[in-house]
Amino acid sequence: MTILTRLEQWKEQGIISPEQHAHLADLTRGEPCSLFLELNVLLFAGVLAFIAGLGWTVSTWSRQLGDVLVLTILSAILAACFWYCFYRAPAWSPAETTSPSLIFDYVLYLGSLTWSVDLVYLENRFRVLSGQWDLYLLATAGLFFLLAYRFDNRFVLSLALSSLAGWFGLTISHWPSHQDAAYRQYAILYGLIVGVAGVFLKHRGLKSHFFGTYLNIAANVLFWAVLSGVFNQQSYGVWFLALLAACGASLAWGLARRQFAFVAYAAVYGYVGVSSIFLRDVTGETAVLSYFVVSGIAMLIVLVQIARRFRREA
Amino acid sequence: MRVYSASSEEALRARNLLKEWASEGFLTAAQYQRMEQETVCDLRRTNIFLRLVLFLFTLIIVGAAVGLFFVVFLSRPSAQTSGVFLLIFGAISYGAAEFAVSQARLYRYGIEEALAACSVGFLCVGMQFAFFSGSHYSPTPDAAEFLVPAAGAIASLWIWRRFGFPYAFLAAMIFVVFLPGYWTSSHSAQHLIVAAFYAAGLTSVAAVRSRHRFEYLNDGYSLVEAFLWLGIYLSINLQLSSLNFIGEWWVAPRALTEFSRSFYWATWVLIWCLPPTVLARGVRRKDRFVIAVGAIVAILTFVTNKPYLGWQRHTWDPMLLGALLIGVALFIRRWFASGPGGTRHGFTAQRLSGKDKQWMNAGSAVFGLISPHSITPSPQSGSPEFRFGGGDSGGGGATSDF
Repeated sequence: MTILTRLEQWKEQGIISPEQHAHLADLTRGEPCSLFLELNVLLFAGVLAFIAGLGWTVSTWSRQLGDVLVLTILSAILAACFWYCFYRAPAWSPAETTSPSLIFDYVLYLGSLTWSVDLVYLENRFRVLSGQWDLYLLATAGLFFLLAYRFDNRFVLSLALSSLAGWFGLTISHWPSHQDAAYRQYAILYGLIVGVAGVFLKHRGLKSHFFGTYLNIAANVLFWAVLSGVFNQQSYGVWFLALLAACGASLAWGLARRQFAFVAYAAVYGYVGVSSIFLRDVTGETAVLSYFVVSGIAMLIVLVQIARRFRREA
Repeated sequence: MRVYSASSEEALRARNLLKEWASEGFLTAAQYQRMEQETVCDLRRTNIFLRLVLFLFTLIIVGAAVGLFFVVFLSRPSAQTSGVFLLIFGAISYGAAEFAVSQARLYRYGIEEALAACSVGFLCVGMQFAFFSGSHYSPTPDAAEFLVPAAGAIASLWIWRRFGFPYAFLAAMIFVVFLPGYWTSSHSAQHLIVAAFYAAGLTSVAAVRSRHRFEYLNDGYSLVEAFLWLGIYLSINLQLSSLNFIGEWWVAPRALTEFSRSFYWATWVLIWCLPPTVLARGVRRKDRFVIAVGAIVAILTFVTNKPYLGWQRHTWDPMLLGALLIGVALFIRRWFASGPGGTRHGFTAQRLSGKDKQWMNAGSAVFGLISPHSITPSPQSGSPEFRFGGGDSGGGGATSDF
């Protein structure tokens, strides 16, 4: 029985009104057909292509064009984007707000990316901060966070989080020797800061719907950092315990909140970490393959049990 | 032929739609509850994350189990022996997938999908080992070796028909790409053969899907038709044939001397004819997947036109393309909005489904993180003292230097 037949039956049984029936039948038939997602993808691709061409052109032709013209063009685009956003934006609200128009989010995204191009050009041509890129990144991250929260924009929030990650990375790169341990500590610090900030902002009711983005980034960064510690040849015990704790927390969170991405993180990262410990001193093919068969079956059973328990959320 | 009954799949589709409509506020909670009771089905599903993880662990188990069998029971087996056993494991995997569906009623659960995928993999590797002595690729392969990708394509098609996995159809299309290499050394002929296979598939799918317009099968056929249109386009666009085509573009336009002049220019005409054809087909059928492929191939035509003509690429070309895309999107949006009720010819720019918003949220978070790295290409020429590319960790390339 097709959904259209069912709708007809439900209308005859009085479960849905004739108006509801007409509306739902239209939706089923694709009347009207929404191109909302396709237009958004087109705008996103357009902004990316535009900014790529802009950066490429500026870097290739800056000498011929001259600093004044380049900076004028970049600043004009930047000013136009931000003017449009501040002019068209609805009043700020700590809750989720819908964009005033289809293009609004992309204008802000274009402005943010143009800001980055502008900043890179300024620093490389005039050495305003004598190559202190980490300061630029920190300031850029701050600006992007402000913009993301002012205009409720996930694209710019992601830019802010990646800029902040870049600041952590660049800060380490100034150090005389690059050691995994230092990177790991900074990655953990970054993950904790992002996670705590997400919790704090959610608790304060500031754009609570961004919380998922914070949590996913924090979880993945923390898992990668802890896993890299587990792969150490020495003193990996603490990292292994940390991995188990992280997996437990991720699993508990995922099950409690019905967010199965976190169950998947716990399963995959945990399995990789535990396997690396178990197989550390094992060399025989039979033992290794037996391990994968047995542990794989065990994981499968546990996951199927979890899937059964939450079948209704499927 | 299908392992799931039509009533079960229709019931699943009805449940999905009811859930979506309830979340959008088109149904009250009481209505949803009552209607949901009438769409009960016995198929066992799970969410996308657990599905992916279950797929992964099933692959690990099957791979390790087969490896263990070879290690424990066969010491230094010949290629033929290994091939025969792999064929047996392929049959066992397929049987297990059928069993998982018929007995455990699994539906898009990861486990049965991994088992079906393994069966195709074992079949192809097993055939290669058993009948062709595990010989590696050579410029002049054994002509009969085409049976390996042919078997892979047929098995993938069967799994698509039997289980309804859209990616199995995609796998069949990929196997088809390898077929003509065994039949002819002419690159032109190879392109034509692949395009002919896809065109034949498209004709068949188009003929079949018209009977299932409002049924559960329509979405699957829509996706398959979109794959086939894309496949036809990719097989005739000679600038996209090379895996290293992007690198070659930036350095210098490719000189595709292996193709005859008439064939080369015929494909150039075709890459301009296909996008409007695909778009028209998608718009006429209100098929979002086909419309999306129409848009993709239109963009690819714009991107590959200059290399096709041997013209010099300019640094501002991406800007023009970006402006064009933004302009087209805005024009379409305004045109729709100016129609009665924001609708024209049955299309609207308004969001009608909660799924669109979910996709947008997930996409904006993911692409916002990765896009700054990928949008800044290396400089083409000129200013040797400037370098502009990469970005240490996002920030719109703000970490790179000129």
